[in-house]
Amino acid sequence: LSLWAVAVLLVALLCLDPHSRVSSAPICTHGPSGCHVPSLADLFDRVIQHSARMHSLSNDLHSEFEQYFLPSKNSIGKIYRKCHTSSILTPNGKENAQKLAREELTEVILKLLMAWRDPLFQLHQSMAHQQDFNSFSSNKALEMGDMAHELRKGVEKVAEKMRVLGMLGNSVTGLSAAETMLPISDSGEAMSNYELLYCFRRDSNKVQNYLKILKCRIVPEHDC
Amino acid sequence: MRNSGAVLILSFIAKLISQAAGVSAPGKPRLTSCRSPEKETFTCWWEPGDDGGLPTTYGLYYHLENSETIYECPDYRTAGDNSCFFNKNDTSLWVNYNITVVATNALGRDISDPVEVDVAYIVQPNTPENVTAVVVDEDQGPFVRVSWEKPRTADTRSGWITLQYQLRVKQKKDKEWEEYDAGMQKYYNVFSLHPDKEFMVQVRCKPDHGFWSEWTQTTYVKMPDYIPRERSLWIMITIFSVFIVLILTWTLNVKRNSVKLCLLPPVPGPKIKGFDKQLLKSGKSEEVFNSLVIQGFPPTIDYDDLLVEYLEVYDNEEQELVLDSKDLSEDCMKSKSPSDCDSGRGSCDSRTLLLEKCMVGREGSRSDQHQYSQHGETSWASTESSECQGLEPGSPEFSDGRVKTWPVVFSSPQPHHHYQVEAVKPVYHSVPEILNHSSPHAMPANYQNLQHQDIPQQEGRFGKPACRHSQSYTHGLDTPAPGVSPSRSLEYVEVQRINPENMLLLRPLSDQNREPEGSDYAGEDYSKVKEVTSNNILLLQRDTSYLCADGYSQAGQCTTQQPPHPCKPVIYQSHSGMPQEGMRVMGNGYVDTTVLMPSY
Repeated sequence: LSLWAVAVLLVALLCLDPHSRVSSAPICTHGPSGCHVPSLADLFDRVIQHSARMHSLSNDLHSEFEQYFLPSKNSIGKIYRKCHTSSILTPNGKENAQKLAREELTEVILKLLMAWRDPLFQLHQSMAHQQDFNSFSSNKALEMGDMAHELRKGVEKVAEKMRVLGMLGNSVTGLSAAETMLPISDSGEAMSNYELLYCFRRDSNKVQNYLKILKCRIVPEHDC
Repeated sequence: MRNSGAVLILSFIAKLISQAAGVSAPGKPRLTSCRSPEKETFTCWWEPGDDGGLPTTYGLYYHLENSETIYECPDYRTAGDNSCFFNKNDTSLWVNYNITVVATNALGRDISDPVEVDVAYIVQPNTPENVTAVVVDEDQGPFVRVSWEKPRTADTRSGWITLQYQLRVKQKKDKEWEEYDAGMQKYYNVFSLHPDKEFMVQVRCKPDHGFWSEWTQTTYVKMPDYIPRERSLWIMITIFSVFIVLILTWTLNVKRNSVKLCLLPPVPGPKIKGFDKQLLKSGKSEEVFNSLVIQGFPPTIDYDDLLVEYLEVYDNEEQELVLDSKDLSEDCMKSKSPSDCDSGRGSCDSRTLLLEKCMVGREGSRSDQHQYSQHGETSWASTESSECQGLEPGSPEFSDGRVKTWPVVFSSPQPHHHYQVEAVKPVYHSVPEILNHSSPHAMPANYQNLQHQDIPQQEGRFGKPACRHSQSYTHGLDTPAPGVSPSRSLEYVEVQRINPENMLLLRPLSDQNREPEGSDYAGEDYSKVKEVTSNNILLLQRDTSYLCADGYSQAGQCTTQQPPHPCKPVIYQSHSGMPQEGMRVMGNGYVDTTVLMPSY
């Protein structure tokens, strides 16, 4: 009888103790909505890091290509087809880039990233099928494509944030209707892998550069 | 047709002439490098070829990718000779430039190989500027803070270009530089530099995709002289050791008993069972010693097989030969005849007997030294008539032939014989044989090695507890002494003196040097040697007359324990020849036979 009484007492204590009641704790404990919201500067840092990583991947792949498949550098016989993104007007100098408004700059970035979504996928596919590549290179291509996708999402978030903060006007046109550019050269032939890599390397460099300019223009506190 | 042919011939001839003259068309120039310091302008340099001996001009031409328009270099001067500088207006990023250099002289021209250049990838910034190295003194020790500024031309503020820095440090005498990566910051703290030394510092930078700049000019910095105090390490060591010491102390304290046991093992103190210290303190020594006596000791053992077979010869024909010392115990009771003094047999109340005999033979003896001990059971023989005299303790001279023997003490591994205090029945043994090699000369130079024989059997002769006698055995019990003739003849010798070599000088009784001291008994002025132990103790037998109880077993005698009175010091025992069995000479010349007791 005494044991029972003790057990009942314990249970009662546990139940009555308000602190011991189990309740779901909020996941986000900071900030008004309970979660930690990254600041614009943090967002910019993230996307810039992302773009740097993407560019280094493209650089590596391009170097590999050049090393193993095109031994003769700067040969006269090299034929450069136009990159399919050459129709996008991009500033090719610092002044030109600084002359562009934030919205335009953001738009250029987004356009570029959008234009590469499908070609990167195709690149990975063709690299995976060809037996010349080892799995490491084809994995890089896959990662590169994913990164481009992520980066685009990130830049869209940044634009959203800027719009919220009032830094961005509404002149940014929706890119959802952006034409999907197919990497088809003037002559109608599909570009080779090397050409794709060459073009993407350049475009990723552009993206990284534009993002940095944008960041130092909008949030100049750190590293500018 | 004719013109072209004429032209050809003319040009051929001109060439020949020019070659003969040593001039020729220029050689091929070569573009060495193109660099952009800030990603806004760039410069290309070329290397001229052979100029062919004629003044040659060079021209750089380029066209952009996917365009056929050829432009010439806008600026040949800014960057120096054989260079072409492209200013901001002429520089486009992310566009391939196809550049060639053309060399032209009077005789011809040559074109270099084209070079593809994308300005975005040929960035090499200028060196950082204003490098300063300052010694900062702090608690942990001084260090050097190196700070610098970005190259003036690089625009990092707008984010157009991102630079990362690197610095390197070394002493003048060092071969290798120590490199440090500073990232994108414009300062760096260098620690662990040696005191009182001068260091050289250099800095360079690099854009995120590009080439490293050149190193700056060397900046010198001198470290002050200081003593490095690695305090934290010492503090830690001290604390740690204190901690260890505390733990050890506590452990030792907890285990102090076992530690004490380990380090200082207890010395077993002497313990005598039944010994009452209090009694001793109170002064009643008699009671104290009484308690030590074990009743019923010595245990009764059938000594039959321990009996020593020996012959006892009396020169008194009334004596009977005692062949078996079994009778000895009975002899204790009987044989009150005066001839018993001679025999080895003792009489059980030899105390009175001894006294009596002592008295008898006392006349004419110098008997100052007699003392009658009550150690009755020590069977020893003392010389007769003048028996109460004997050797001076320690005197090597025997004035007479009286030698006292005292009984042997057990030294065999036989059961330990305790001496009873009360028993007063000494039993005498006689030496079965005395080897007498004495010459009939009167010279007291008879050296005899007296050995004992058959002594081991004597032990068995102890029949009755009432009569205890000691018997001593030497280690050489069983071995007959070399040179001992197994003759059974008995002769009596008397000890003349003991020479320093621990030898008894014996002479036969027929010696005319024999003391004319009368003796009541024929054998009174001689003694039988019972045995020699360890070559330097002569145990002589003496008849029953005396019970000088001294020197022998103090553990217990037949008589009561009394302080021994030296009756006659019988044998001089050389102190140096202490027998291993443990016969110990007391100061008065008697042998302490206690130590002959086997140790248990």
